[in-house]
Amino acid sequence: MASYAAEQLKEKGNVAFRNGEYLEAEDFYSQAIHRYSRNSLIFTNRANVRLKLQRYDGVVDDSLKSIEIQGQGGQNHKAFYFLGMPCDILSGLRRLSIALCRHAQAQLSLNHPNEALSSALTAYNQVLHPQPAAKISPKDLETFSAFVLKCKKQKFASRERERLRRRGDLCAELEVTLDSQRQRDQSEITLQLQRGDVGNIAASERAAEIRSAFDHKVAELHTIFAAADPANHKAREIPDHIIDTITFEPMHDPVMTKTGHSYERATIYEHLKRSPTDPLTREPLTIDELRPNFGLKAACEEFWDSGASEWIIDW
Amino acid sequence: MAGMSGKRLQKELAKIQGVLPPGITLVSAPDLQTWHMDLRILDNPLYPPHDHYRLKFSFSKNYPIEAPEVVFLRLTTDPRRDIPIHPHIYSNGIICLDLLDAQGWSPVHNVESICISIQSMLASNTKDERPPGDAEFVRSNRARPRDINFLYHDPSV
Repeated sequence: MASYAAEQLKEKGNVAFRNGEYLEAEDFYSQAIHRYSRNSLIFTNRANVRLKLQRYDGVVDDSLKSIEIQGQGGQNHKAFYFLGMPCDILSGLRRLSIALCRHAQAQLSLNHPNEALSSALTAYNQVLHPQPAAKISPKDLETFSAFVLKCKKQKFASRERERLRRRGDLCAELEVTLDSQRQRDQSEITLQLQRGDVGNIAASERAAEIRSAFDHKVAELHTIFAAADPANHKAREIPDHIIDTITFEPMHDPVMTKTGHSYERATIYEHLKRSPTDPLTREPLTIDELRPNFGLKAACEEFWDSGASEWIIDW
Repeated sequence: MAGMSGKRLQKELAKIQGVLPPGITLVSAPDLQTWHMDLRILDNPLYPPHDHYRLKFSFSKNYPIEAPEVVFLRLTTDPRRDIPIHPHIYSNGIICLDLLDAQGWSPVHNVESICISIQSMLASNTKDERPPGDAEFVRSNRARPRDINFLYHDPSV
C-alpha cells in the first residue's frame, strides 16, 4: 500500500523534524510524497520544514499543493497560515504574492470569492509593506489592487445571486401556500353547496370572492418582492465620495493628500511616480505625505456590504 | 493587466454621451483609443459660431496617468472645418497647451475638461495669427506632440 508506506516515511520525517534534523526530515517527506502524493498533511509538513530551511519558494508550492489536495471546503488553516505569514521571506515575497494571486484566481474560478478575497488582500498587503530587500515591481501594487477590487466585486455578485435564489424560492413557496388555502376555501364552498347550506348564486359569489382575494394576494406578494429587489428599481448609483477620481472605480484602500482629497492608493502612487504633485492643486506631493483615510475606507466597506446590485453591471 | 485606460474611458464615454457643455460634441469613438470631438466657439468674432473644429484624442494604455495626445484635424472637404487660427496652435493641428504636456497634465482632467480648456483658450483669443516659426515647425517637426518641448513664452495668450 503506497499510502501506508508514505505514512511510515511521514512518521520518520516527523521524528527527524522534532530532533531538529531538517534536511533529513525534508528528505523523508519528499520520499513519502514520491510514494503517495494525495496526502495533504505531508505537503503541509514539508512546507513547515522548508520554512525552517528558509526555502521559501518550496513553502509556497507545498502550501498551495496542500490546499489544492483538500479541495473545496478544505479547512487547511496550517497551509493558509504558511501562505499568509508576515514572514521575512525576502526573495520569495514577490513570488508569494503572485502565488497568492494565482490561488485567489483559482478560488474565483471555483466560485469561492471569500477565499479569493482573503488571498488577494494578503497579496496586496505583502506588496504594500514589502521588506526592504524585497524585489517588488512598482507595477505590482496596481495589479494586486485591481485584483482585490475584482474579488470584491465577485464576492458581492455571488452573495447577490444567492440572495436572489433564496428569495425566489420563498416567493414561490408563499404562492403555493396561498393557492392551497384558496383550494381549501373553494372545496369548503362546494361542500356547503352540496349539503344545501348555501344556494347556487351565493356559492358562486363566494367562489368569485375567494378567487379575487387570492389573485389580489398574489399580485401583492409579487409587488412586495419586486420592491425588495433593487434590480427592479432604478439603477442605484455608486456614491461619488467612494469613487477614485482618477480611475473612476470604487475605492478599497483610499489615501488622503494634504489638501484633503482622497484617491485609491495604487492609482495615486502611479501618478506620483510620474509627477510628484497633487493632482488637483499641482502642489508638490510625495508618497510619504499621503495618509490612509480610515473614515472613507469604512464608508467604502459599508458600500461593499450594502445591497446595491446595479453597479456590478455598470462598473 | 492591460492598463487602467479601458475602464476609465468606457465610463467617460458613457458620461459624455449624456449632456455636454454648449459647443462641444462627440463625433465618434470607434475603439476607445481614438476619439473625435467637435468644438464650436460661440462668442469670438475670430471664429464664426457655425464653424466646427475637429479634435482628435489618442489615449495610451496608461491614460489617465498619462496625458492623451490631442490635435486639431484638418478636414479638407469642408473649408469651415479648418484648423483654428491661434498663436498657440500650429497649422498642422498641434496645440501648445500646458495641460496636455507631461508636466502640466493631471489625471483628474478628462476629455470634457480638456475640450472646455481648448474652447476657452480659443474664446479668449484676440490675435489672428499662428505661433512664431509656424512654417518652419510644420515643415521640420517629426516628433509626436508629447515629445515636443514647447516654450511657454507667452502665458498671456
